[in-house]
Amino acid sequence: MIRESMDELTFDILISVAAFVAGVLGSLIGLGGGVIITPVLVLGFGVDIRYAMGAALASVIATSSGAAAAFLRDGISNMRIGLFLCVATTVGAVCGAMLAVVLDQSVLSVIFGAALLVTVGLSLRKNPDAANSENTSDPLAEKLRLPGTMPTDHGPMNYSVQRVIPGFAMMWVAGVLSGLLGIGSGAFKVVAMDQLMRIPFKVTTATSNFMIGVTAAASVGIYLKRGYLDPALVAPVALGVLAGAFVGAKLLPVAPVKLLRIIFLSLVSVIAVQMVLRGLGINF
Amino acid sequence: MIKDTQIQNGLARMMLGGTLIAATIMLAGLIWYLAANPGIKAGDHIFSGEPKYFENPVQMFQRALEVKETGHRRSFLMLGILLLLINPALRVAFAAVGFVAQRDRLYAGISLFVFAVLVFSFFW
Repeated sequence: MIRESMDELTFDILISVAAFVAGVLGSLIGLGGGVIITPVLVLGFGVDIRYAMGAALASVIATSSGAAAAFLRDGISNMRIGLFLCVATTVGAVCGAMLAVVLDQSVLSVIFGAALLVTVGLSLRKNPDAANSENTSDPLAEKLRLPGTMPTDHGPMNYSVQRVIPGFAMMWVAGVLSGLLGIGSGAFKVVAMDQLMRIPFKVTTATSNFMIGVTAAASVGIYLKRGYLDPALVAPVALGVLAGAFVGAKLLPVAPVKLLRIIFLSLVSVIAVQMVLRGLGINF
Repeated sequence: MIKDTQIQNGLARMMLGGTLIAATIMLAGLIWYLAANPGIKAGDHIFSGEPKYFENPVQMFQRALEVKETGHRRSFLMLGILLLLINPALRVAFAAVGFVAQRDRLYAGISLFVFAVLVFSFFW
């Protein structure tokens, strides 16, 4: 591997450039930085998967804070839904992180690759149409005051919230994956809110952004304690992803998103398979 | 009475500001750290954990302020990272305060629970 002969400065410059590219692509495609940056560090730079997960999780928090801030100001995200579901994701994340610290790194690599393949599958789905507004909500959702309003071109629109308990359970799973693999697990959160709870897609993605950072923060403390956060790795990666996500958001209106999606998602699938193979001890 | 939109705007400002401050400290810390350690080999391919004083945010804070200690620059860099990492916890705490001001007991309770989980994970 090239990186054995590299000094820290060269290494840091290279990984921040890689993180920047991951940040740009991630925000254009709608995949978080976490699922991309870990394989890049592990497969491309030979970084131990535990350090890679720590750096990825920290960058997830960085981008989530930036993106969620914009959505909050637009009044699209639903704070009550977000905070309520964070009960499930944070508890799940603590469980996942505790599991991660006892699992072998090859096992982590296999699970990571598998989760990455599922993520690609999930992001290939078509975005469903906005949920209908006249539906009555799950009684539990009413009790928790989850239904809300979102701004549309034709003025504010009310939306309902369905199946609170299945959604909550799925969020716990998303939390476990986040803590276990050092990812934001945004794709899983979106499925829970959009498919199960039938929350409008715009509200779902905005609220998911708010939740990703909170979920990641629940496991990052445990990663910190176990020494997964090497500051000399975390800083260049987080800065690169943050700058990349910012540029990506600016490029979004002009970029050929459809084409990038196809190229990038195929690339991610190949990476996912490589992570699985690496975990199984098959190197090439 | 505080409105939901006021809480949201306050949160948005805090999240953005906090991230920018953390990023600035991280960038400065990284340059400072690299300047003191020219030519060292990056050793991330072998997992060796991190020093004990990184385990506790309070100890790390002390280390970052003590110039003569070993790992001082590394701790300073870590401080910028820590600032980034506590942003979500502050976000939740801020929401909790907002809900308390609205006398929304249910959501004040929910926010405080989430906050407690985050604090637990950092200090447990």
